[in-house]
Amino acid sequence: MGLIKTQPTVESVTEEVRKHPRDCAGLLAQLIDPNPTVRRWAARDLADCPDISAALVERLHQEADISVREVILTTLTGLGDATSVAGLVECLRSEDAARRNEAIEAMRQLPDAVAPIIRGLLADPDPDVRIFAVNILESLCHPEVERWLIEVIDRDPHVNVCGAAVDLLGEVGSGAARESLLRLKARFANEPYIRFAADLALGRLRDA
Amino acid sequence: MKRVLIVDDAATVRLYHREILEAAHFAVEEAMNGIEGLEKALQSPFDLYLVDINMPKLDGYGFLRELRGQDLPQAPAIMISTEAESNDEQRAYVAGANLYLVKPVKPDRLLTQVRLLLGDTHP
Repeated sequence: MGLIKTQPTVESVTEEVRKHPRDCAGLLAQLIDPNPTVRRWAARDLADCPDISAALVERLHQEADISVREVILTTLTGLGDATSVAGLVECLRSEDAARRNEAIEAMRQLPDAVAPIIRGLLADPDPDVRIFAVNILESLCHPEVERWLIEVIDRDPHVNVCGAAVDLLGEVGSGAARESLLRLKARFANEPYIRFAADLALGRLRDA
Repeated sequence: MKRVLIVDDAATVRLYHREILEAAHFAVEEAMNGIEGLEKALQSPFDLYLVDINMPKLDGYGFLRELRGQDLPQAPAIMISTEAESNDEQRAYVAGANLYLVKPVKPDRLLTQVRLLLGDTHP
């Protein structure tokens, strides 16, 4: 009589995973477990451990499984401390577009933590990081968003950084942006996209 | 009339490219990310895809890899990005792009490249 191996159910796998030690040291060890389910649970439960952000950030940069990365990002977003935010900023410099977009989404959830560093990101030497910083502003519920965008279109020399800012000013801009948009059109008079986007934004200003 | 799908999360960029292409008598549809783009392509394949790299949910590389893995007519794809670094360009071609352009693309250049890829020599 042959042996019949029964496949464990999802519930039993989860139960098995949850039987690992749940103390902080145990959870940290499980963060590098070969089983992504174990890593996901660890990343979730580490939220209750003190001074855990640095370890989560380190793991975030190494983690290949997108479902585990999502949980790490959720935990870091919940922590929202300076180390977590710095780790997310590093993701903006990643070669991996998916990692960059995950970090942008996470940072949009942290207006109070991101606000103090946004000017630094908007002045980063790398224009791509400045574009990602503008992307973060898209859903960042913060009263300074319009002012930051106006500063970008007044000062940034890169056409695509200004293009991203104009795109967003068309959604959130008020009459305060009018003069800056007109100056931008003059500054990039030979760029059809900037003229197009600035005209569109001018027509959409809230109190235009 | 040739059909073009614009896959880009920036509404202003989509509108800019749409107006250029429609003025040249292309039929244009839009998708806000790679997932939506794939859904539209699977419903009714397009003659050409104009694809941004950085998008939420599924980025341009992922969109093209998935598109190329489908049992669909292998229509040309232009990847358009803000990034001028050569490794992004290489990754775009590996993912299945036929051409890599850096934003912002001037109308004449976009139309020339679209027509070339579609084998359309009309001015």
